[in-house]
Amino acid sequence: VNGLVGLEIEQRGEVVVARLTGELDIAGAPHIGERITEAVPSSARGLVVDMSTLEFIDSSGVAMLFGLVRRLSSRRQELRVVAPEGKPVARVLEIVEFERAAPVLMDVDAAVTEIA
Amino acid sequence: VRELPELFDRRVQARSLAYLFLAGAGLGLLTLAFPHSELIKDRQLIILAAVASAMAVPIWVWADRMRTWQIHAALAAGTIILSFANYYVEATVLYPLLYTWTTLFAFYFFRLDIALAHVALIAVCYAIVLILVGPASPVVLWLLAVGTPLVAGLLISRLLALLRAGVRDSERRARALTESEARTRLVLDGAPDAFLSLDRDGVITAWNTAAERLFGWTAAEAVGTPMRSLITPPEFRARHDQRRRELVDTPQTVALQRYDLELLRRDGSRFPAEATVSKIEIKGEPFIAGFIRDVSERLRRQEEREALLREQAARAEAERVTELVSGMQLLVDAALAHRTLDDILEDLIKSVRGVLEADAATILLAEDDERLVVAASSGPQPSEEGPGEPGQPPSIAIGEGFAGRVAREREAMLAQGPAPEDVPDPSLRKLEIDSLIGVPLLAENRVTGVLVVAAVAPRRFSSEDLAMLRLAADRVALAILHARVYEREHRLAETLQRSLLPQILPEPPGLEVAARYEPAATEAGVGGDWYDAIPTATGGLGLVMGDVAGKGLAAASMVGGLRSALRAYALEGHDPARVVEQLNRLVWSEADPSQMATLVYVVVDPGESRIDWVNAGHLAPLLVDGGDPRFLEGKSSVPLGVLPFPSYETMSARMNPGSSLVLYTDGLVERPGEHLNDGMAKLAAHVRAAPDDSQRLCDYLFDKLVPAHGAMDDVAVLTLRNLPMVDRFRFEFPARPESLAQMRAMLQRWLRHSGAGERQIGEIVTACGEAATNAIEHAGAVGDVPFEVAGCAGDIEVEITIRDQGNWRQPRDGDQGRGLSLMRALMDTVEVTPSAAGTTVRLRRRLDNNGGLE
Repeated sequence: VNGLVGLEIEQRGEVVVARLTGELDIAGAPHIGERITEAVPSSARGLVVDMSTLEFIDSSGVAMLFGLVRRLSSRRQELRVVAPEGKPVARVLEIVEFERAAPVLMDVDAAVTEIA
Repeated sequence: VRELPELFDRRVQARSLAYLFLAGAGLGLLTLAFPHSELIKDRQLIILAAVASAMAVPIWVWADRMRTWQIHAALAAGTIILSFANYYVEATVLYPLLYTWTTLFAFYFFRLDIALAHVALIAVCYAIVLILVGPASPVVLWLLAVGTPLVAGLLISRLLALLRAGVRDSERRARALTESEARTRLVLDGAPDAFLSLDRDGVITAWNTAAERLFGWTAAEAVGTPMRSLITPPEFRARHDQRRRELVDTPQTVALQRYDLELLRRDGSRFPAEATVSKIEIKGEPFIAGFIRDVSERLRRQEEREALLREQAARAEAERVTELVSGMQLLVDAALAHRTLDDILEDLIKSVRGVLEADAATILLAEDDERLVVAASSGPQPSEEGPGEPGQPPSIAIGEGFAGRVAREREAMLAQGPAPEDVPDPSLRKLEIDSLIGVPLLAENRVTGVLVVAAVAPRRFSSEDLAMLRLAADRVALAILHARVYEREHRLAETLQRSLLPQILPEPPGLEVAARYEPAATEAGVGGDWYDAIPTATGGLGLVMGDVAGKGLAAASMVGGLRSALRAYALEGHDPARVVEQLNRLVWSEADPSQMATLVYVVVDPGESRIDWVNAGHLAPLLVDGGDPRFLEGKSSVPLGVLPFPSYETMSARMNPGSSLVLYTDGLVERPGEHLNDGMAKLAAHVRAAPDDSQRLCDYLFDKLVPAHGAMDDVAVLTLRNLPMVDRFRFEFPARPESLAQMRAMLQRWLRHSGAGERQIGEIVTACGEAATNAIEHAGAVGDVPFEVAGCAGDIEVEITIRDQGNWRQPRDGDQGRGLSLMRALMDTVEVTPSAAGTTVRLRRRLDNNGGLE
């Protein structure tokens, strides 16, 4: 149990989809970041972090995302984040200008297709 | 002579003086009987002899009654008579030699100075005689020259001595008085009871050391202060005044009263006291003296005696219950419980050894009526290996060995030069034991053990030793019995307490919880009612109220199992229905097929003002919203343990701020001969008039529905109140990451109450979360320091302050800097005020006026 956050990993061909649920804060973020990194094999083309069902994110969650960006880019793997507009999560990502590190999309399928 | 008793001394003095008078008279007559000079006047001498003889008679007769001064006077009179005699013989015969008689008498019987005074008188008298007879005589001049200063000196020194004696006497009298006062004070100060005296107005005039100890006021502080304001509790002051007045006004000069009082100590604490008060009148002025004794110890002992009686009643019951389910010791922290008896035995064995001056002593306890196990042993030196093998204490069969025989015969025995195997504790066998004495420990006509005492040096135990040992054995047996009873009861109570009832109920912000449990008055007292409250990660609370079928420790162990399982599942965050399904599996798989349990599990989410519940055959919880009680009926499924795969369903209801929830067991509503529905209707009716506060609601329901003499069945009630929201709040959270979710839930609820829109709520909560994350990080390793969140809502703006007790860290690049920029982006104003005491972050945001439309 990592605070209130839930994680589901799905393999879609050469793309790993990590779906987050619940609330992501300092109580869960560091550990969830590690688990996602572990779930991405070096053979994978990239990772989609699905935040469409995540209800809450704070700066520690954002830090986790930036960490994923760094690790994946060092392995020449792509990262997409899915966060539908109008939700609190999208608002936070917008404020911290996450777009400059990795693309934020509205839809998981679109994100998977982009990487594949 | 001076050592003789004074009476005898004085009689000897008086009679000797009488002889002198007679002898003097006789000598005078004798000189007349012989031819003598005509200068001698015969007639006068005969008269003087008659006077001397006449004086001798009463002195002789009343010798016993003569006072010292009378003897002095008589001697002086003798001197004067002798002087007259010398005058009448014209100093021609050897009469002056007679002066040596009186001188010798004076020196023999009187102190030196008094004797010299007599000599001086003689000198003066003789000088006068000589002057009258022939003035120019040189003898006279010599006598005058020597005698006058001598007489004057003696008289002055005598006068001084008398004066000094007078002063000494008055001093002695004063000293005696002071000593007597001091003695009185010493007696009072040494008195075990507090002593005080009051004047007629109730002002303290005396205060002994015991009073100082008892009340905490020193005599210097107490004396001069009215008793009523010093040690009388305010509510008793009027009574004190009345009693004092009555006592002072009673016509008797001495009156005694006894009162039971409650008095105040200096520290404000109170104690029961017994006062023995007397009124005494001295020279018409009454004063009150009282001895005060603290009787709390006596009352306590009385209570202890009553407790012992209760314990004896409880013992029979505890034994019955324990025997019924002897296998249920699993739940018991055996190590902890056994230490009590072991401690007692250790102490007992030492005192037994000490009293009998024995070299070694061992207590063996009977186990299963077959074996004796060494429970405590004490030898001349601390046994290096301890008694026997570690882990397994040595034991012998009853009937075997010395101790075994004592146990079988139930009689005290003596063994001279025992065989090594007769020494019960193997660690003592290397001692050369000369004799053993053993007595059985008998309690309630059963042998509970054996007490063996050993002597090393050639020493025979006497019959006094045996009697003493029997006495000791009685006490040891009694102590063991008490300790065992206590342990059993203690264990039982502990098991129940631990498995049934949480000691502290968690209270997340915005919720108020209270619970109460009372065992049945008539039953064995071990019921299956239980409840629990488990905080959820989202700032809510999971509540459970259950009833396990059956009684006794079996039921208790089932409760323990259910409780820990429910906590585990609930913490995993499962849906309430899934949690209850897991619990069903637990009861179903129980070995005893008749085992079953009912429970209701409610999850309260104050942030959403919602409750979710699952009911497994339990009585419906009562929701009280604005004085309108409603049973949460809905689907009630079968109890746990009835079906292998029952389907449980989670139901939801709104629980508005200000409303309450009542969970209970059937003991609250079931009455013999009464329909259950009537009981529940009664509950609903009482709830309508009940107070809002959860603890008072809980107590109110108990008062109204549980008979004063105790219920027929166990009763458990759990009340929860969703506190109404107000415009201002202040709350402390532990500086732990887990607090964040609770804080967000609480803020969400409060912001909704304040009229913020859903989107704004999300943003404000995010900003506050950042500030709180900082606060938690500032606390660092000192995780126990809480941080404070306070809110203030106006019509157009909310202000939230988050205050920690750590050090503000300058935002670095990365996470913390991002946190600060998030706060600035999401709020209208962000003020960070670092100080030595901690950091305060004040966040403000104007409210959109579109309410919750988004």
